[in-house]
Amino acid sequence: MNKLLSFVLSAGSLASGAALAQTPALNLMPDGSRDMYVGLGVQSAPRYEGTGSRKVSALPVLQVEWSNGIFISGMSAGMHLSSSPTVEYGLLLAIQPGRDESGAGTDVDGIGLNATAPPAPLTPFARGETPARLAGMDEIGARLQVGAFYNTYLNPQWRLTSSLLVGAGREHDGARLDLGVQRLAFATGERHRLSLTAGVGFVNRQFNETYFGVTMAEASRSRFQAYQPGGGLQDVHLGARWNWTLSPSWMLTSNLQAKRLLGDARKSPLTERSTNLTVSTAIAYRF
Amino acid sequence: MRSARQFIASLALLLAAGSAGAQAHAEDAVSYRDAYRAMVQFEKYGGPKNLLVSQLQVLPKERGALAEGLQLLLSGRSTQLSLPLDLLGRTVFPLQKAAYDDNAALSLSRKGLGFVLRPQVSIAVRPDGVYDVLELRAGCAQALGFARYVDASQRARQCAGVRFVFPRKTEGGARLRRPDSGEQVLAPVIGEPDDFPAVIYRFQAGAERGQVATFNAPLAILPLFE
Repeated sequence: MNKLLSFVLSAGSLASGAALAQTPALNLMPDGSRDMYVGLGVQSAPRYEGTGSRKVSALPVLQVEWSNGIFISGMSAGMHLSSSPTVEYGLLLAIQPGRDESGAGTDVDGIGLNATAPPAPLTPFARGETPARLAGMDEIGARLQVGAFYNTYLNPQWRLTSSLLVGAGREHDGARLDLGVQRLAFATGERHRLSLTAGVGFVNRQFNETYFGVTMAEASRSRFQAYQPGGGLQDVHLGARWNWTLSPSWMLTSNLQAKRLLGDARKSPLTERSTNLTVSTAIAYRF
Repeated sequence: MRSARQFIASLALLLAAGSAGAQAHAEDAVSYRDAYRAMVQFEKYGGPKNLLVSQLQVLPKERGALAEGLQLLLSGRSTQLSLPLDLLGRTVFPLQKAAYDDNAALSLSRKGLGFVLRPQVSIAVRPDGVYDVLELRAGCAQALGFARYVDASQRARQCAGVRFVFPRKTEGGARLRRPDSGEQVLAPVIGEPDDFPAVIYRFQAGAERGQVATFNAPLAILPLFE
């Protein structure tokens, strides 16, 4: 299901890329134009949030911006509605990966440039090779989340970010609020740009119950004890993205993210390791 | 220990990819799209800007390279342009949809010379070389308005004056004519050996009246914010 959604996301944007056009905030490209990066790389990530077991997998890269304000960045899409270069706000859609007994969560990455998408959605369980690990847990489908984002620039290099997404969880009533600060890409050399992020994530009870809770029924057929988490602060994360512009058309984009689970998510019986690192690198072509 | 191994493995992944990228680093060009995004902000700005000019400035890594008749080349599938650079490395940037859609490249006429690009907004040079002080104030205010538009941190700054930048081989002074106190020569300031001579005119408190007359045409008139 997740792979299918990822494919649909990629195929849809590629098909419509030639027709539309734009960029963040105000329209910084010619009317009817678009800017698109497509690429492929590798990612090393925890098999699921909270485990020390890692896996390396292929990572598609997709970022498209059109002149009308619509954008796609990895697993998120949205539309800019602001006309100011110092404030960005708009609508946001994001896919929350699902989960089955073997795990879940295929990701698509962006390249971070001008993107206003929140950090990559939490993937509490990544598709793994240890099917017995989550045996007995309910299968949860991928969820389309809807929401909004609001970013304000302190200056061209620093911005405060926020996003609210609703629609995750078993009953589509899980909500997540992300608050963060970003040091936008600064040149470390002619062709090297590094951007840094730090942020915190808050979720409601329904979100945590779905992805970190264990129901009585699940407890009776799995190795986990029943656990009913509440909402609140879920994680703190730090990230660094390094973009190496090889030519006007080619870019090497690499991402490093450290995330620490907090609150009831950290106490979940599903969480064996509260701090984890995700690293990825990909080559992307600019169309 | 396990986390250390994970971290080292992660770094190795990045470095391996980096090495592959280094071999692919072939041409010395930058993206037209990136330059377009930087330059089009001035065009989109709806505030007063009739006293301003917006140009793209090339900053070569090698000092003195601009004196050799360097040009900025725009190369795309449907666009080929040579953009002459002035002594400060500036040129009028062509905003072209065709070049944007082609993902055209910007490079220098001298291969292998590293450079960076930046937008520069300055006060327009008058052909007669005579600038009313009120007009200079208005030009600086327009430039500050644009700076505040693109950078929220500029809101606390104020216009302090203007800087006339002159070519090295010309007499780079100016004369301040006040209606009440006659004329005053504004001598050029020369900093580093490679710097251009410049005359700094600082605005006075209150409603100052007068004119600044340059001895020769300046290359640029830059606003000073403090």
